[in-house]
Amino acid sequence: MVAGSTDAKPVLSVSGLKFAYDQSSKQESNYAISDLSFAVSQREIICILGASGCGKSTLLNLISGLLKPLSGKIELAAHNGNRRPIGYIFQQDALLPWRTVEGNLMLATEIFKDINKSEAAERINQYLSTFHLNQQILKQYQSQRSGGMRQRASIIQSLMFNPDLLLLDEPFSALDFYTKLRLEGEFYQLIKERNKAAILVTHDIEEAVAMGDRVFVMKTGGIVTREFAIDLGPDRSPESARGTPAFGELYRAIWAELQAVMAL
Amino acid sequence: MNSVQQKSATRFDLLLYPIPAILFLLVWYAYTLNNPQRQFIFSSPEQVISAFVRVVQSGELFHNACVTVFEAIIGFGLGTTGGAVIGLSLWYSRVVARVAQPYITALATVPIFALAPIIIVWFGIGILSKVALAFISTVTVAIVQSYQGSLSVEPRYLKLMQVAGASRWQTFKLVVVPSSLIWVINAMKLNIGLALLGAFIGEFISAEEGLGYMIVKASGVYDMATVIVGVLTLIVIALVLTALVTRLERHLLRWRVA
Repeated sequence: MVAGSTDAKPVLSVSGLKFAYDQSSKQESNYAISDLSFAVSQREIICILGASGCGKSTLLNLISGLLKPLSGKIELAAHNGNRRPIGYIFQQDALLPWRTVEGNLMLATEIFKDINKSEAAERINQYLSTFHLNQQILKQYQSQRSGGMRQRASIIQSLMFNPDLLLLDEPFSALDFYTKLRLEGEFYQLIKERNKAAILVTHDIEEAVAMGDRVFVMKTGGIVTREFAIDLGPDRSPESARGTPAFGELYRAIWAELQAVMAL
Repeated sequence: MNSVQQKSATRFDLLLYPIPAILFLLVWYAYTLNNPQRQFIFSSPEQVISAFVRVVQSGELFHNACVTVFEAIIGFGLGTTGGAVIGLSLWYSRVVARVAQPYITALATVPIFALAPIIIVWFGIGILSKVALAFISTVTVAIVQSYQGSLSVEPRYLKLMQVAGASRWQTFKLVVVPSSLIWVINAMKLNIGLALLGAFIGEFISAEEGLGYMIVKASGVYDMATVIVGVLTLIVIALVLTALVTRLERHLLRWRVA
């Protein structure tokens, strides 16, 4: 399928990817992912929509290395050091509850001794301001914070590993509407300004159109039935995108495609 | 609002706590009053108090209690620590865990009473055999609980470590061990009673000191009052040790109440 925007460096390239949970099965109908190819570039956000169990999360697990593909290639752009340049953010935050927020954010420095602690502390400060969080939360435990704050901290936790590509599995679905809107905006800005890339799995068409540069509609078997390019102007934000006339049209077109896919 | 309600409930509870004990004492007192026959079988509150004063003054109670507490605590410490280390390590290898399982189950189901004579023959009638019995009573609980804890780690924490590229040892150290701490502390709570039981059974069977020895000796001469003093002392020791573990729990798991 089509590669991302032209001037940006590629971050991920997937070609001929196949996967089945029952690896002995040769039947194509049992494939969770059947022959998927696409690429992601820097500053690009890909949103994947589809019914539950269609293979969205399986795809993220394959890209992150949690699952091994049956065949096909997953190529990640070269990265400094031997670390996998990927961050994975789940629906629920993955903050370790027995550590303070700071302890969680510094986790990367404990796993990789080559990450400098004072530089890490500096980066934490930068990310805190990106996500409008204050210093006080660093000394607190996760249980003392709201869902939105926890998810922000969880994103920063992933960013501390300095990934090029962020994989997000319905990260905003458990949040209230206003928190979700704010967090979407902050996250969008982060990807664009820091030259990251993201693959966002969601059930929310509105979120997909507001955040995505491309939206994939997926059906059972991990087959992308249609890809929508979202062009809502150069200086868009998820919030401003929602007010444009094209937004409604895209929403309807994607909804129609989803309905067709789910009826199959 | 909620915390205020909880606080007043606790204060109210404090007033209620002694009521069953006072009722029991009154019934006991009335039942045995001026009846030497019943006093011989059931003793009486007054006799228990005078027996208590006697064994305190002679130093007998303090010495025997110290011996039992020492045996139980050493057995408890070795059993719980050793069991937790073994149980958590089983996380490393599913094969070893599978092979070990029937042995652990076997060890856990053998009544400590059945093992006691063997242990006393092996380790003698001194303190060592009681420590060994307290150890055997506690080690299996610690193994089972901590292994269960290592299997109950929230999957997304493991995913986080795996995606980050953490080694197995780092995952063990940074996620599995701290996450299993709740289970290890639960094992500690269960093990206090079991360690005391192990030490006590050892003393009961063959010993020259300790609360078990004191109780057996007193019951041999139908000195019910001293027997009851021994039992009450055991209860107090168990309560104090449990309170200590609860404090430790509050400290180690402070993030839960935070």
